[in-house]
Amino acid sequence: MKPLFHINIRTALIAALLVFAPVLSAQGQQDSRLQMSSLDHLAAKASQTIDVNIDQRLMLLAAKVFDDKDEDERQIKKLITGLKGVYVKSFEFETEGQYAAADIETIRTQLRGPGWTRLVNVTSKKDGMLEVYLLFNGDAVGGMAVLHTDDKELTVVNIVGPVDVDKLAKLEGQLGIPDLGIQSPKNKTKNEQ
Amino acid sequence: MNDDYLWDKTGQPDPEIQKLEEILGTLRYQPRPLALPQKRNYFPLLAIAASLLLALLAGGIWLRVRSRNTTPPQQAKIDSPTPAPKPDVTTVSPEKKSAVNPSPVVATNRRRHRSVQSAAEHEEALMAKEQLMLALRVTTQKLHLVHTRTSPANQIKNQHRVG
Repeated sequence: MKPLFHINIRTALIAALLVFAPVLSAQGQQDSRLQMSSLDHLAAKASQTIDVNIDQRLMLLAAKVFDDKDEDERQIKKLITGLKGVYVKSFEFETEGQYAAADIETIRTQLRGPGWTRLVNVTSKKDGMLEVYLLFNGDAVGGMAVLHTDDKELTVVNIVGPVDVDKLAKLEGQLGIPDLGIQSPKNKTKNEQ
Repeated sequence: MNDDYLWDKTGQPDPEIQKLEEILGTLRYQPRPLALPQKRNYFPLLAIAASLLLALLAGGIWLRVRSRNTTPPQQAKIDSPTPAPKPDVTTVSPEKKSAVNPSPVVATNRRRHRSVQSAAEHEEALMAKEQLMLALRVTTQKLHLVHTRTSPANQIKNQHRVG
């Protein structure tokens, strides 16, 4: 009777693993996508709003219209290849205090999740707080998030998929932004959150 | 006994033979019209074909509805259709947006004829590219801020200010 019981437990565990493994796997893959819909209510208060939602389908669609003959566009196409989504929400307000700390906290809570590492955290009274996070799946980068909060601004950038920071750094000079000289995070140590 | 009955049915018949005649008479050839094979009934085949057709049609409609539901229209608030060279020209106010862009930038995946579909797809792709460029500009702009704030020159400058 006892061995039979053990077999049943084992069988049940294997069955449960088989059933839940795909679910857990899918859950793991979605971790780098931040839920930013909680910020939507800020659009009504904002004087300027950017709301970009590009999923993988649109990413593939956009990649088709990049001109391969153009060196810059070719670089951008390389950068977005493999990405699963780019999501940006940016709100600029005319007056201070238009968003609550809870609004930022909903994003920051997700960035405290497993895999996320805060690479940069710059805080100043004048310019607010700037944080850069990377999601690591082992050694590979599986996503990136930038959170910029100011008295009159709240910006969240979420790139889902394997972001090549080197390529992104090379891109900086091609979008009207001067070169930043950002180094690859490979040699950087993981900061405490 | 006369056997003429067996030859030409004359004379007195034998009762036994008469009985046999009655029994076997039921199996006698009876002339009837030629029965030609009837026209084949195609109704079952037609029913099956119609069912398959309906199933295919339903499947197609379901896939179409499903693809529409899974890819909701993507919307972005942008100010200009071409990437602006300046990093700070990436945003737009809601009221300005209506003036610059009377219709909201909405990408849909409506499918009509193939040519119309490809044209719509191309348009959608261009919009997606535009949004992507906008997103990348915002990202690089923020990374630029990070760089300027963390660069050693900036830190020395701040130290001088403090000093």
